[in-house]
Amino acid sequence: MADTTQPMDERELMTLQHYLKEYGQQAEIFVSQLEMLENGRMEALGAIEALEGMMASEDGVVLLQIGAGASVRAKILEPEKVLLAIGAEVVVERPNKDAIEFLKERIMEMEASQKKVAETLDRLRSQMNEINKRLEAGYQQSMAAGQE
Amino acid sequence: MFGGLKAKLQAARSRLGSSIQSVITEPAGAGTGGVQPEPVVEPENAAVPPATAARPTIVEKFKVLLIERELIVSEKDVADALSELELTLLESDVALPATDAIIAHVRKSLVGKHRKLGESVDSLVVGALRAALLEVLGNGFDLLDYIRTHPRPVRILFTGVNGTGKTTTVAKIGYYLKKQGFSVVIGAGDTYRAGAIEQIGVHAERLGIKIIQHPEGGDPSAVLFDTVQYATSHKIDVVLADTAGRFHNKANLMSQLGKIKRVMKPDLVVYVDEAVAGNDAVIRAFEFDKTIGADAVVLTKADMDSRGGAAISIAHTIGKPLMFIGTGQSYDDIAPFEPAKVVEELLGDA
Repeated sequence: MADTTQPMDERELMTLQHYLKEYGQQAEIFVSQLEMLENGRMEALGAIEALEGMMASEDGVVLLQIGAGASVRAKILEPEKVLLAIGAEVVVERPNKDAIEFLKERIMEMEASQKKVAETLDRLRSQMNEINKRLEAGYQQSMAAGQE
Repeated sequence: MFGGLKAKLQAARSRLGSSIQSVITEPAGAGTGGVQPEPVVEPENAAVPPATAARPTIVEKFKVLLIERELIVSEKDVADALSELELTLLESDVALPATDAIIAHVRKSLVGKHRKLGESVDSLVVGALRAALLEVLGNGFDLLDYIRTHPRPVRILFTGVNGTGKTTTVAKIGYYLKKQGFSVVIGAGDTYRAGAIEQIGVHAERLGIKIIQHPEGGDPSAVLFDTVQYATSHKIDVVLADTAGRFHNKANLMSQLGKIKRVMKPDLVVYVDEAVAGNDAVIRAFEFDKTIGADAVVLTKADMDSRGGAAISIAHTIGKPLMFIGTGQSYDDIAPFEPAKVVEELLGDA
């Protein structure tokens, strides 16, 4: 066990600060990955809602957002057929129901990835907490040593 | 690792197996393919002769073993299952050229006559899938062997886009090489990103690896030149040159990389990207290779990638081998990419 009575030298404190900074940078990357996954999940949920709405609509008329808050009424010619990007930049035509199933599977995949990233993030954060505690102790020891 | 792809491949394997099984169970001549009428006796049945029969001679035994079921699979018999496999691969972000190659290989392996001695349909399918995957995965890249067979110091330049874990990869490979008994020096060539020099410095200190650094904002070519000079004068085995992350469409940054290449004359240029980027990683690797060149690829964060698309397709698509895959946060979490091992993991029953 580390000797807590001996003040930490400045070099050790600096190394701990570097570790903290590095873990912080890694954590930022994982947080942005989590955000991307969440955005993807929300987008897929929105697409499922739209596809279900299209099938439920009797006249096939939907409100199409064209950006900047502007929308137009648009008629879907073939609401039962969906062009779907399935991966590897490949787009295939799928029946509406199958497209919804595909998107639901994608959501499950994204949720599984979110779980993994969140676990890694938790581990990083607990390591950061540990370093923070050691840094705090080091500062206190240094201050105490300076007062003597 | 690649759990999603594994599950999907298992489903595709069952589907292919069922398609072929249905060919076997069809009466001969009823379908497009079928079973030749000659086989009747299964080898295991033949091995136990009736008590009343005379003891078979060695020649007879041999003849019985040679009697096999001749299975003929037509393209039509496996068309649906292959189409499903194709979608499975594309949905897993396996690049189109790699997907096409896998499908073509499996089709070629399965369609036609098969004379199998006691082999199950499943092993026929698994064999076809295994061979197809091994073909697109290539041979990998044995860095240790490369270092052993090339003049020292072996200079390795790491390139790639921002935020994919390049610096950490340099540290991990440094640790890996050190454990294998090689001496290593790291060049802190990322003089652009704030804190990058400190970051690689901390890694090097923690791992007990010598590092050559210049102040932030300095010329990375100069740092890496000094690193090579240091390695030469101190008889160091390997130079690991870190560089700043950059996108291939940033002309000035790419020309800086060109200068680095001219100055330090790397033996290997290694492109680093993250497995989770899927097909994007493949496209970026292709662009980097076209612009600055790449001899091998490292994929990071493979532990978080359930699809496995980038790992499966990168070697086939850009024609450069996958050297390592990063599988976690600690220094030990990097493994040489061994195609046979990956294929066994993907097709294994466990």
